[in-house]
Amino acid sequence: MEHGHTVFEWGLLVVIYLYTAGISAGMFATSAFATYVGGGRYRRIARLGALLAPWPLALGLGMLVLDLGRPLYFWKLFVTIQPTSPMSIGSWLLSLFMLVAMINLILWLPRPWRNLIKFPHSRADVRDRLRWQPLTARMVRMGRGVVAAIGFPLSLGVAMYTGILLGAIPGRPFWNTPMLAQLFLFSAMSTGVAALLLVAALWGRISDPHELAHERHMLVSMDVVLILMEFFIIIPFFLHQALNTRSSAESLNLVMGGPYTALLWGGVISLGLLLPLLIEGYELYPVALKEGAVKYNRLLGGLSGLLVLIGGFLLRYVFVYAGQLSHFLPVLPR
Amino acid sequence: MTTNLKGMLTHIEPPKPNPQAGRRWAFVIEPDRCIDCEACMVACSVENQVPVGHHRNWIAHREKGKFPYLSLHFEPENCHHCSNPPCEMVCPTGATFRREDGLVLINYDDCIGCRYCMMACPYDARYFDEDRGVVDKCTFCVHRLDAGQPPACVETCIGGARHFGDINDPESEVAKLLARHEVYVRYAEAGTGPAIFYIMD
Repeated sequence: MEHGHTVFEWGLLVVIYLYTAGISAGMFATSAFATYVGGGRYRRIARLGALLAPWPLALGLGMLVLDLGRPLYFWKLFVTIQPTSPMSIGSWLLSLFMLVAMINLILWLPRPWRNLIKFPHSRADVRDRLRWQPLTARMVRMGRGVVAAIGFPLSLGVAMYTGILLGAIPGRPFWNTPMLAQLFLFSAMSTGVAALLLVAALWGRISDPHELAHERHMLVSMDVVLILMEFFIIIPFFLHQALNTRSSAESLNLVMGGPYTALLWGGVISLGLLLPLLIEGYELYPVALKEGAVKYNRLLGGLSGLLVLIGGFLLRYVFVYAGQLSHFLPVLPR
Repeated sequence: MTTNLKGMLTHIEPPKPNPQAGRRWAFVIEPDRCIDCEACMVACSVENQVPVGHHRNWIAHREKGKFPYLSLHFEPENCHHCSNPPCEMVCPTGATFRREDGLVLINYDDCIGCRYCMMACPYDARYFDEDRGVVDKCTFCVHRLDAGQPPACVETCIGGARHFGDINDPESEVAKLLARHEVYVRYAEAGTGPAIFYIMD
């Protein structure tokens, strides 16, 4: 009787959850970054990121709860802290991050919307709801700074947790490397930037190529750095796995000739990393060579954003599925 | 898969009985007495009402030697009730716990069915019970142990390949077997400290 997993216990719902948590973390981090740099030049990116950040994660958390064997008992996660369980730490981290992201969203709402959120203190407030404004402009400015500073490390933690969840398991050699946390972290940041890039490309009148021009310049520059970081992780990932124990080395067969080869090399690396890197390099090279301004191109900007988003999804798909097929290997054949 | 066991497996230093430390339930298995009849699997399924399509124990096949000197070799296996169980470490609600006597058990009220433990177990000893929405596995027949009986698979084993007992009791059958034989464990490199010892044949 042969034994081993015949079905994938973690499927598409978990893939979507890891993916959306990464996008949310990436968007929040970008928003927090844009809050602090440029002296207000990138306010629109900060606002865009703040307004969008909680929603992918909200969807992902729904998926996560639905994936449980007993979804109605998900609250059991929050009556205990298990220090050795990445999932327990991650659940708390995600809840905290969600809270901060929601506060950030409220702080970045355009004023007329923000004023709809009211916490009346007295009867007069209730009677005259339209005049009472709970948040002064100064409080909002300060609040944004504080929330960005608190939320930035939390967002990095959430992004890293999605990798640690898989990477901290010795029983699955394909996952069991510290580089998985970094890979998922930089991929999360990259997909967050790409989501904003895509929205920025779709924003405003299509006829005006200079709409959000310097914001797009910043996003493209960030994405180039992040994609390069991913390459700096993927290359040593392959080298280390190949030179590690036999179980690790053979787990690479899953993506080198095995069932996930085409998805990883064609989907994740070519379509999701190389192609967007080429497009973004083309947009940026006049600046890098000091020959002129960035080539603003709404179509290319949107396309590279879309490709990075597809690549990020496929990355999580490949890792979640392939990792479940990897095992310790029994004694060596002679 | 062709496997040559002699010289390829890391034998481990068999644990010495430690009567002061309290009970430590363990299996000692003689693979050369196993005939792959799968009676243990049937006994387990009946005893524990295991859902159709899942098993709490199984028999791994290994081919020994090199053509033309080949032989088939059976390793009966179930949950290893590790001293350092990865499933217990990753459980986010603390539903999986380790009892004083070494049994790794599940508190089904606390299990939410996230299946992280199934990812963590290098032996794939756990299965997901779809009807109850919780993860389940071999308990070393804890209900029988607490009533003073051996696990169902041990009682039914026709070839006498499965031995069960307290390795901290120097007078027990398993402690004597461990003292007399060279033993190995599955995936010693995982650092799990499994409590199923296989006698080298």
